Amino acid sequence: MKQRLNFSNYIVLLAASAFFIFPMVAAFEFSLRINEGKSYGFANYRWVFAEDGFATNLGVSFRLALLTAICVLVLMVPTIVYLHLGGARWKRLVEFVCLVPLVVPVISFALGVGTAFPTFLQSTVYELSFLYVIVSLPYTYRALDVGLSSIPLLTLVEASRASGASMRQTLMYVIIPTIRTAVNGAIFLAVALSLGEFTLAVLLHWDTFPTWIANVSQGHILNAIALSVLSLFGAWIVVMIFALAPKSLRSNKIQEATK
Amino acid sequence: MSITIAKRTDSLKTGVGPLHFAQRVSSFKSLLPLFPFFAFVAYFLLFPLTFIVRDAFLDNDGKFTFSNFEECFKGVYGHSFFVSIQLSLISAAIGAVAGALIASAIVKTGTKSRRAIAATASVLANTGGVPLAFMFLAGFGSEGLVTKALKFLGWDLYAGSFTLFSATGIVLVYSFFQIPLMVLIYSPALENVKPEWREASDSLGGTKTTYFLRVTVPLLFPAFLSTSLLLFANSFSAYATARAMTSGTLPLMPLLIGNLVDGNVIANQQHLGHAMAVCMVGVSIIVMSIYVLVLRFSKVKR
Repeated sequence: MKQRLNFSNYIVLLAASAFFIFPMVAAFEFSLRINEGKSYGFANYRWVFAEDGFATNLGVSFRLALLTAICVLVLMVPTIVYLHLGGARWKRLVEFVCLVPLVVPVISFALGVGTAFPTFLQSTVYELSFLYVIVSLPYTYRALDVGLSSIPLLTLVEASRASGASMRQTLMYVIIPTIRTAVNGAIFLAVALSLGEFTLAVLLHWDTFPTWIANVSQGHILNAIALSVLSLFGAWIVVMIFALAPKSLRSNKIQEATK
Repeated sequence: MSITIAKRTDSLKTGVGPLHFAQRVSSFKSLLPLFPFFAFVAYFLLFPLTFIVRDAFLDNDGKFTFSNFEECFKGVYGHSFFVSIQLSLISAAIGAVAGALIASAIVKTGTKSRRAIAATASVLANTGGVPLAFMFLAGFGSEGLVTKALKFLGWDLYAGSFTLFSATGIVLVYSFFQIPLMVLIYSPALENVKPEWREASDSLGGTKTTYFLRVTVPLLFPAFLSTSLLLFANSFSAYATARAMTSGTLPLMPLLIGNLVDGNVIANQQHLGHAMAVCMVGVSIIVMSIYVLVLRFSKVKR
């Protein structure tokens, strides 16, 4: 519902926009400076794309994000669906477990992983994906739980099972499409986290996009600012497309019908 | 995974009253589909955690000792508790209050703009590390545009002892992701406040103040508190941004741990790092317990 904003609301929104927009505008202005600030151009941006390791490290981060998203889907969706159907008595336990990562600072977690994991796991960069699944648990659990609470899950499952679908088919073709928004939300959270995560990557001595940015920024200040603007703006564009996409992409008929 | 509808009614029955033996067996069976989840969490979360605790009690020869924890509370390490907790409290308070104000303005706008703002907030809440540090250097650094603009208007940011690398500066930088996180998580709670309640309060003769004190505050207090707690945990464990901003000049717990275990500066201090890591978990648990107590108290009162 839309309400009228009062005067103090406008003041708050104006101040907030200023606080968030000014640093970004300032960074953008700096990133365009070339020839020691004497003129403007896109040389700093071209440098970013030409720099060694840009494509490789971005590739690593994207693959990590993909693997994290798949793990979240495969592990969390069936688990939370089960909690809403037959396993309700375990809900509080699972909920509690999912909140534990909030209490464990990432840096503490990274130390434990470094000493606990066997070498075969520590020899591949993809170990990070499993850790990102853990770190994103509180958020993905919440997103999926809210999504499943808002649909008549039992009715849908009964209808699907009565029509002869297996549990796997029900999950794939009925439940997941119905909670598409929540699933998308969970995936997006996991992807955003894996693309931007720095602490685990650096303490376990892996090169990902964020650690590459940190390395490259030393000694190339203007270029690093251009890189910062690019990474923030890129992420924002992706999210905005996702958020403002036409309704047909975001929801579906079952969801409409059950509202 | 196989779930049948029969099982669902079955487990509903066993959910109440004392369990008979057969039902007890079926209650274990009901745990089976959760096995992948628990196995995953046990291996990737609990297993590493036990190793931090174990290493915190070992000396360099692998013998049991308490000395790591004694060291933790001395000198710069002891001081870092104070600095880290204070900074996180201030950052959480600023983020929570500013975020709540912004959320209460945003909640009045239309659905589409609300969705766009939520998406933007989710990006901003995830900024951190070097990109965030550089944005603030460009904006609020001594040569930054905002600094110059404010100076032009007659307010010299750098007249006092302010630098971006001090505690005040860090709080300012952290606000950039703390406020959006508050907006993001607190907004759904605000959306549950129905305008009808305001009308009900008005028709019963309540003033604006009574509505705020007797309806809004009790209703939103738990959500406000739990989100503030999240903000505290968020700034308490922030490592990437702190590392990019201070390069070690400010004694924050995550930075000290990072220095200790990366081992370039001080050799053979790995176990002290582990003890500090355990202490950080301890502080988080204490804060979480306070939250649970306050929540219980506020429920009793109502």
